[in-house]
Amino acid sequence: MASHFSGVLQLTDLDDFITPSQECVKPVKVEKKKGKSVAKIQIEDDGSYVQVNQDGGKQKLERAKITLNDCLACSGCITSAESVLITQQSHEELLKVLRNNKTKETEQKTVVVSVSPQSRASLAAHYNLSSSEAGRKLTSFLKGLGVHHVFDTSFSRTFSLLESQREFVDRFSRKQQDSKAVPMLTSACPGWICYAEKTHGDYILPYISTTRSPQQMMGSLVKSYFAEQQGLSPQQIYHVAVMPCFDKKLEASRSDFYLSKAETREVDCVITSGEVQKMLEEQNVSLSDVEPAALDTMFSSVCGDEFLSHAGSGSGGYLQHVFTYAAKQLFGEEVKELTYKTLRNKDFQEVRLEKDGAVLLCFASTYGFRNIQNLVQKLKRGKSPYHFVEVMACPSGCLNGGGQVRPSSSQNQKELLQQVEELYRAERPLLPENDTRVAELYESWLHTLGAERAKELLHTQFHAVEKMTNGLTIKW
Amino acid sequence: MKEALSLVQRISAHPDSCCWFVSWSPNGALLASCGGDKAVRIWGREGDSWICKTVLQDGHQRTVRKVAWSPCGNYLASASFDATTCIWKKKNDDFESLTVLEGHENEVKCVAWAPSGNLLATCSRDKSVWVWEVDEDEEYECVTVLNAHTQDVKHVAWHPKKELLASASYDNNICIYKEEDDDWECQATLQGHTSTVWSLCFDASGERMASCSDDRTVKIWKECPSENGQGNLSWKCVCTLSGYHGRTVYDVAWCELTGALATACGDDAVRVFKEDVTASPDEPVFSLVAQETKAHSEDANCVSWNPKEAGLLASCSDNGEIVIWRFKEEELD
Amino acid sequence: MEIVSSRLSPALEKIFQLSGLNRNGMNTEPMEEKALDVYDVIRSIRDPEKPNTLEELEVVTEKCVEIQELNEDEFLIIIRFSPTVPHCSLATLIGLCIQVKLQRCLPFKHKLEIYISEGTHSTEEDINKQINDKERIAAAMENPNLREIVEQCVAEPDD
Repeated sequence: MASHFSGVLQLTDLDDFITPSQECVKPVKVEKKKGKSVAKIQIEDDGSYVQVNQDGGKQKLERAKITLNDCLACSGCITSAESVLITQQSHEELLKVLRNNKTKETEQKTVVVSVSPQSRASLAAHYNLSSSEAGRKLTSFLKGLGVHHVFDTSFSRTFSLLESQREFVDRFSRKQQDSKAVPMLTSACPGWICYAEKTHGDYILPYISTTRSPQQMMGSLVKSYFAEQQGLSPQQIYHVAVMPCFDKKLEASRSDFYLSKAETREVDCVITSGEVQKMLEEQNVSLSDVEPAALDTMFSSVCGDEFLSHAGSGSGGYLQHVFTYAAKQLFGEEVKELTYKTLRNKDFQEVRLEKDGAVLLCFASTYGFRNIQNLVQKLKRGKSPYHFVEVMACPSGCLNGGGQVRPSSSQNQKELLQQVEELYRAERPLLPENDTRVAELYESWLHTLGAERAKELLHTQFHAVEKMTNGLTIKW
Repeated sequence: MKEALSLVQRISAHPDSCCWFVSWSPNGALLASCGGDKAVRIWGREGDSWICKTVLQDGHQRTVRKVAWSPCGNYLASASFDATTCIWKKKNDDFESLTVLEGHENEVKCVAWAPSGNLLATCSRDKSVWVWEVDEDEEYECVTVLNAHTQDVKHVAWHPKKELLASASYDNNICIYKEEDDDWECQATLQGHTSTVWSLCFDASGERMASCSDDRTVKIWKECPSENGQGNLSWKCVCTLSGYHGRTVYDVAWCELTGALATACGDDAVRVFKEDVTASPDEPVFSLVAQETKAHSEDANCVSWNPKEAGLLASCSDNGEIVIWRFKEEELD
Repeated sequence: MEIVSSRLSPALEKIFQLSGLNRNGMNTEPMEEKALDVYDVIRSIRDPEKPNTLEELEVVTEKCVEIQELNEDEFLIIIRFSPTVPHCSLATLIGLCIQVKLQRCLPFKHKLEIYISEGTHSTEEDINKQINDKERIAAAMENPNLREIVEQCVAEPDD
């Protein structure tokens, strides 16, 4: 079976022998004990293992099982993570919840689906629609299935962009004291984060922006603000994100995004653009034939029935927004248009702010594994000239994500990507600071919670994965 | 068949260890060897014998698996199980460590310089092949990371004339890569071997390639126009040498000067094959012309033809030895 | 090439074992002696996970060693071992231990092939390939954590 993860993750030590059919078993060394063992192990009728002590007492033994957390915490393969994710986060899971809502009285869930603009563009290209049309029709389709709310992650991305801007200016101003304040590396790409945590650990992690990705910003909004507004517990909401990328499933599963008190994840399930297309096909529906529905304006970046987007790259426009903000805030420079200089290849670009021959700001975008490599090596050698880098695991960024709808047999990958890009850019950009709805939420919601709680809701953290040193688990 | 390989010198090159690889400098004056002792040794001729000129130590933490000379002969690259590749620069008679290429997840199995000297390829157990570019400041940057193989990549070799790269893998396949638009791509996957492909090399023209495998065969592949008529080249297996090797064939080397094909085998032997000139190029015939069954007392790991002195062959073995041979074609009637 | 394997019936084999008779004292073939020498080397290797030896766990038995003569002074040794469970994740490690110990301890010149007994493991071919790849073995033994375990497993028992 081919892996669905981005190339960066696939490169990271996939196991030779653990096939999806075979579960990973972390072996444990058993020391030889002196004397005779005094307990017996019995297998009960139900297949469970029971330890029978000498006095006849029985004790049920736990079955050793590898959870997704074990797997993510392990520097070994991600094969098991993949098979676990496929079962935990699939469109079938969403359908199961929806079915349950219809057939059972108990455990009713409010189902929220947050759709990324990249997925919208991908589906629009596949069904020959405009991106906004695709959004309206998808809203209608999902609501027809029983979904209660359909939101748009451009809206939560506004928070991500605003927080990134502030974080950068803060980091830049303390770069003299803190050698790891800059470059600030973006964190919205979970493939890159997983790679950095597993292979570069403490060396690279301090550079990574703590600002949450749009998906996880939406997680905060839905399971915190929205839940409160609706008088629901976070657990009563089933939150699904539609993403251009399979790795986003990994992100949603991070323990940092698990609400332990409420025993629920901020994003319960991530399905890819391709999986949405599969859902449509399974229901024998062509998105083009669906009657459009009105958009949910609560958490959507819309103007009338048109979606609004952000300027800059198709991967969120982080570089663009942080650059213009920093130029203004730090140097009083109004930057109307950015000049992207292509360096070694199209996935490695640079933008500079220069004044009187001096370079004030030097930003870059590095997409794909090869460029990430050079960035990491430059950082290690202290040769990186950058203040900010937009890092994405996929070549061409998120619009080319591994979860996007595949080209049809008559289509070529490059043409399709170009079409998706055009559709994505056709959405009118909105400046994050001009989003009154977001400003209002900062004021009415986050402000009242206090700085510390607001930070929890808007930021996250990263953890170096320790290299495996148990010889029993090392693959050679 | 008359014996056509004569012993020039037997050298205990990496004592108490194993010698994995030997490589002649482009002008044929020096031989570099590497092995399990984590060192690279440079050998030069003094009078009639080959002696150790320099030992490059402290570059690597683990076995040095392969070494490669830059086409100009001024740089040496060493690939190690410590996951790094060292670039050494020649300074007079000595070498100094210039830079260390990091990035592979685990053992680097091979390194090779493109004919231009601007590109370097490395491969690893991490299943990837990397191409690095060198700039004027002797800085190395990764140009591409290729993931065409599903397993451990054992060997990489450049086409002698074009920027075309070939790799051999534990997944039994050979891949051929070319730069396309903005990135490198795998253009062809050559299937045919039934076990690990340990090594491969091009002939002097680059039109043919020889590969050797754990399946105990050597295969000759020929470049031919692709069936769909588009620019991409395809490679066909035109000859399989089977029945000659008793165990895994670890290396194959095609002499640029004489066209002789040498192999290093896990049955301790070094063999030399010659092509029957009368056969059609599409169905070449190779025959065994020299065989040294006990060339080494353990597995023979590598064979290398001196690029300037026709017939001078070096081989090395698990017992740490290097042997220099002279291959003379016997005038048989 | 002659392939010599044990010609004793399993029952007779057992009698010899139980009575502690030294088979070498009998008029056995030299190959068989060599096979026993080889077996003596691997029987005491400890399982990486359990406190027992490979012999105790029946991962190896006398019959799992086959020897062929390659030429007058060199032999081909073929070992077929049986992992305890069909998906045992440590089969490669056991193979590595057998490789390493035989490389170190055998007094005669040999080539070595190690396989998993047919049908005893779900990824038989993969494991066979890995444990016979000398480059992978050499690299594995340079990994300090792996090496530590292998050294523990192949160390001769103190008693």
